[in-house]
Amino acid sequence: MAPILELKNFSYSYGSIQAVKGIDLYVEEGEMVTLIGANGAGKTTTMQTISGLTPPTGVSGEIWFDGKRIDKKKGNKITARGLSHVLEGRHVFSKLTVEENLMMGAYLRKDSSGVKEDLSKVYELFPRLLERRMQHAGTLSGGEQQMVAIGRSMMARPKMILLDEPSLGLAPIIIKGIFEAIVEINKQGTTILFVEQNSKIALATANRGYVMQTGEIVLMDTCKKLEANEEVKKAYLGGE
Amino acid sequence: MYLTLLVSGLVIGSIYGLIALGYSLIYKSSGLLSFVQGDIMTLGAFLGLTFYSYLGLPFVVSLLLTVACAVALGFALEKGVIRPLLNKNVATVYIVLATIAISYIVQNGSMIAWGSITLNFPSVFGVGTVKIGKINVQPEALMCILVGFICMILLHFYMTKTKLGTSMRAASMDAMAAESCGIDVSLSTGISWGLSAGLAAIAGILIGPIYGVYTTLGAVIGRKGFSSAVIGGYGNMYGAIVGGLILGLVETFSASRVSSTYKNLIAYCLLLVFLLVKPTGIFNEKAVQD
Repeated sequence: MAPILELKNFSYSYGSIQAVKGIDLYVEEGEMVTLIGANGAGKTTTMQTISGLTPPTGVSGEIWFDGKRIDKKKGNKITARGLSHVLEGRHVFSKLTVEENLMMGAYLRKDSSGVKEDLSKVYELFPRLLERRMQHAGTLSGGEQQMVAIGRSMMARPKMILLDEPSLGLAPIIIKGIFEAIVEINKQGTTILFVEQNSKIALATANRGYVMQTGEIVLMDTCKKLEANEEVKKAYLGGE
Repeated sequence: MYLTLLVSGLVIGSIYGLIALGYSLIYKSSGLLSFVQGDIMTLGAFLGLTFYSYLGLPFVVSLLLTVACAVALGFALEKGVIRPLLNKNVATVYIVLATIAISYIVQNGSMIAWGSITLNFPSVFGVGTVKIGKINVQPEALMCILVGFICMILLHFYMTKTKLGTSMRAASMDAMAAESCGIDVSLSTGISWGLSAGLAAIAGILIGPIYGVYTTLGAVIGRKGFSSAVIGGYGNMYGAIVGGLILGLVETFSASRVSSTYKNLIAYCLLLVFLLVKPTGIFNEKAVQD
């Protein structure tokens, strides 16, 4: 079976600057894959281009999702096909309540009973959000905002979720909870691709990983093997 | 005497409020400032007059047709001028300037179409006045106040209680996140510009029977509508109407108590005082990007 997401010789340029230089990447259905690498390696550009959130003029190569080409499609159309994106920096709607934020995730859905079901699923996974459902999302802590962002993505009932730096700016104890939630979402059948600066937790969580360096993919392997790789150890795991 | 002044203050205040609602809506949805509002109001008055008086359609039909035309114009404006400029990543001043240019085009365009003399908008209700307590009031004046109030309530309900309205607020807060929720941000912004234009046209068709219709009708009122939005709290729906009513009342009372020659001076002094003392307006509204 073909992978649910596949990038073929994918490049992205901002004007004359090439941020991503002809990478190949795939994610099988049900998998949890991570993309690690230093700042400026092109991870976020890759993620945002998959979701159609970067200007399409910079794209070259092919992006396939669920059997169809999605490169140069508009972001809202890609979401409609079942690919949801938890953006870097959370991007909650600060002046909407927690529940309004979550409901915006279900914006395209018509099945109101299914939406209700998923809303209680989100509250089950993140009980904190139920307590704060009427609060403006902008008043929440960073960890709670990340829960809102993830919950909002779940509300679309997507086939696949992309997460960009879910641990960004969060305390270690909170990060642990967030990753437990991501694992749970994956267990329930949603395919996941995530970008992470915290390589240690990324490799401990995912099944398979890509290492990206200045716009190119330099390594791809199972996370077990990547954890054991000397270069990865030295560059990303602090040499432990 | 006081009651008469109160009514005429509320009438012009509602008009300012309707224009201010449009300013606030555009600001909320795209963080921009459009100076076309006043001229769309003029256009609304002319179109309403054409449908109602020249074509002999019923008033309600004329009103709806006028609003439909204005909504289409506002939408086209966003799609045809504003969006292409935004896509070029130009500075905001260029876009504001573009709206000033369009403002003059609409103003002069209506002069070509309808001439430069003041046209009389015939009475809507067929009666001169109705009696409220001791004073006689034009029924059109009451309609003005009522419609202004209804528009505020409807707009507030739409923006806060409906999925589409909430998605418009979401799109204005964070376009990228909205896009990734599946919201068509470009369509949503277009709709806000359309709605703003529709509100301005309603103001035009309401004020027409009271003030008469002429090409610079909206130029002055548009600026006052902008001031009202600022006084009320730029971007806040209730603030827009309240700001409009305050400005309308202050202006009307000062025109009567002091001199009508100085009414603009007093109104704009009030604006300056507000800017200095309470720059966030009455209903504290933070900027879109917070």
